[in-house]
Amino acid sequence: MSSIKKQIFIVDDDESVCRALNMLLITYGFNVMTFHTAEDFFNVVTKDTLGCLILDLHLPGLDGWGTQRRLNELGSKLPIVMISADKNEGLKERILKTGAAGFLQKPFHDNELMALINQGFESV
Amino acid sequence: MGNNYKVKTAKQKPKLELKLRKPNIKKRRLSGGKPLKTGKPPDKRILSKAEQLLLRGFVSDLSNVRDDLGEKVRRQTDELKLKSGQLRHGADRQQRSDKRIQKQTDELKLKSGQLRHGAVRQLKSDEHIQILTQAIKSMTNGMFLIDVRKPNFLVVFSNAAFQTMTGYTERELLGRGYFSLRGAKADSGVVAEIKRTIRQGTHFRGEMLGFKRAGQQYWFQLRLAPVCSASGAITHYVGIQTDVTLMWQRDFEIKEQREELLHVTRVGKLAEFVSSLAHEISQPLTAILSYTNAAQRLLADREPQIREILQYINNDDIRATEVIRRLRSLLKRGEPEIKPLDMNALVKDTVVLMTTDATIRNTVLKIKFDARLPLINGDRIQLQQVLLNLISNSFDAMECGPEDRQILINTARRDRDTIAVTVKDTGCGIPTPNMPKLFSRFFTSKSDGLGMGLSISRSIVEGHGGRLDGTNNPGRGATFFFTLPIKQKPAP
Repeated sequence: MSSIKKQIFIVDDDESVCRALNMLLITYGFNVMTFHTAEDFFNVVTKDTLGCLILDLHLPGLDGWGTQRRLNELGSKLPIVMISADKNEGLKERILKTGAAGFLQKPFHDNELMALINQGFESV
Repeated sequence: MGNNYKVKTAKQKPKLELKLRKPNIKKRRLSGGKPLKTGKPPDKRILSKAEQLLLRGFVSDLSNVRDDLGEKVRRQTDELKLKSGQLRHGADRQQRSDKRIQKQTDELKLKSGQLRHGAVRQLKSDEHIQILTQAIKSMTNGMFLIDVRKPNFLVVFSNAAFQTMTGYTERELLGRGYFSLRGAKADSGVVAEIKRTIRQGTHFRGEMLGFKRAGQQYWFQLRLAPVCSASGAITHYVGIQTDVTLMWQRDFEIKEQREELLHVTRVGKLAEFVSSLAHEISQPLTAILSYTNAAQRLLADREPQIREILQYINNDDIRATEVIRRLRSLLKRGEPEIKPLDMNALVKDTVVLMTTDATIRNTVLKIKFDARLPLINGDRIQLQQVLLNLISNSFDAMECGPEDRQILINTARRDRDTIAVTVKDTGCGIPTPNMPKLFSRFFTSKSDGLGMGLSISRSIVEGHGGRLDGTNNPGRGATFFFTLPIKQKPAP
C-alpha cells in the first residue's frame, strides 16, 4: 500500500451502513469520507477530485442515477461502485451500462467490495 | 153503416110529427111562404059518416103507426146507446190493451238490449280469456298450476316455457305429481319447505337447483301462490319458475374475476411489502456484516475466541440475508404480459367488478369515455389493479359522508402520444400535509391500511412508461389520474 492514502467517498442515507463501511475501509488503509445525501457530497467534490465513490442507488432527493449523471456532466472521472438493497432483474446490467465500475447488492462481503474498488482505481 | 141508418131514422121522427100536426106549413113552404088559395076549407059536416069513420080510422092508424115508429125509434135509440156504450167500452179496452202491448214491447226491447249487451260481454270475456291464456302460454317464465286437493299435488296446467325448462312435454306433465319433476337429486330440505308452505296455504319464493328430465342441472327462481275457489278454499297453487342459470353464471364469473383480481392485488401488496421489508432489513444486515468484517480485520491474529464469535455473527448475517432473498423470489411479481389494450373496455370491465361494492356503499359510478381512444400496450391485470386501487380509495374517501357519492371515471386522449384515465370523486379530499407522502411506501391515512396501494400503482404505471398523480378538486373531493403511452404503429 502506498504512503498516500487513497480517497474513498461513501454516499448512503443509512447512518449505520456509512459508519460500518467507513470502519471497514479504514482497516484497508483508505481515507474515507461519508455523506447521507448526494447534495452534501457535491458540496465537496469537484471535476478533478480523485478517489472512488461508493454510491447507494436509493437516496432521498438526488438518487444514484442522478448523481452519476451529474458527475458525468461535471466531467468527473471518479469511479463508482453502486450499491443497493433492491434486487431487480437486469438492474446490474443497467448500472454497468451507465459506466459504473461495479454493482453490489447489500449485504456484501468485504472481499467483494475490495475487488470492485480496486477495479475502479485501476480503470482511472 | 148501421150507425148511419140509425141516425137517419132518429131525424125522421120530428119531421113526421111536424107533418102530422102542421100540414099547412109544408104547403106554405112549397108556395114560397104565401098560403095557397085552395078555396074553402072542407066542412066537417059535409063529410059523410063513412068518410068520417074512414078518416077516424085513418087517424087512428096513423097514431098507431106513429106510436109504433116512436117505440121503434126508442128501441133503436136504446140499442144505439148500448152499442155506443159497448163501443166506448171496447175502445177503452183497446186502449188498455195497446198500453199493455206497448209495455210488453218496451220490456222486450229492454230484454233484447240486455241480451245483446250480455252477448257482447260474453264475447269480450271469451276474447279476454283467450288473450290471457295466450299470454300465459307465451310467457318466457315457466308457469304451472297444481291441484293441491289431490295427493302428490298433480300438475293440471303448464305453459311452453315450463315444458322447455323441465324437459317434459305437456302430455307428460298433465296429471304428474309436481315433486316427481324435481329429480332424485333435488334438495330434500327445499322440497319439504315447499310442501310445508302449501299445507300452510302461504306464499313461497326461493332460488334452487333443478334437474331436467335428461338430468342436466339448472338454477331457477320459484314463486308459488295459492289459488282460491269461489268459496274461498285453496284448491290450487300457481307457480312461476324463472331460469336464472345464465344470470348465476354471469354473477359467478364476475365474482371469480373480482376474486382473482383481489388475489393478484393482495399478492402484489404482499410482494411489495416483502420487498420493502427486505430493503429495510438489508441495511442493518449490511452494516452488521461490514462491522464484523472490520473487527475481524482489526483483531488480525489476536483474540481467537472473539474472532470465532465474529465469524458466527457473520454466518448468521448471511443466513438472514438468504431467508430474505428466498422470500423475495417467492413473492416476486410476475413478468408483465404486455398486449395491445383498449382502456375503455378495461375501465368498463373493472367498473362491472366494482358495481356490488358501489351499491353497498351507496355510491354512483359514472363512466365517460373518449370513443376514439387509441390502443395502448400494457398488462391487463396490472392496469386493472391500478384502477381498482384508485376506485377503492375513492370509496374510502367518501366514508366521511357526502350526500351525493359519485365517482366519475374518464378516459381521454391527452396529446399525440399519450392517453389519460381520470378517477374523480366527491369525497373528503386529501389533507394538505399528506400530499407529499401520498405515494410513499407504508404511508396510509386508513386505520387498516398497509400504505402500499398508491405506491404499487405508481410503480405499475411507471413500469408502463406513464405517470400517476393526484390532486384535490377545486370544490370537493380529489382526482387521481394516470397517463399511458399510445401503442405505436409499426414503422412501414
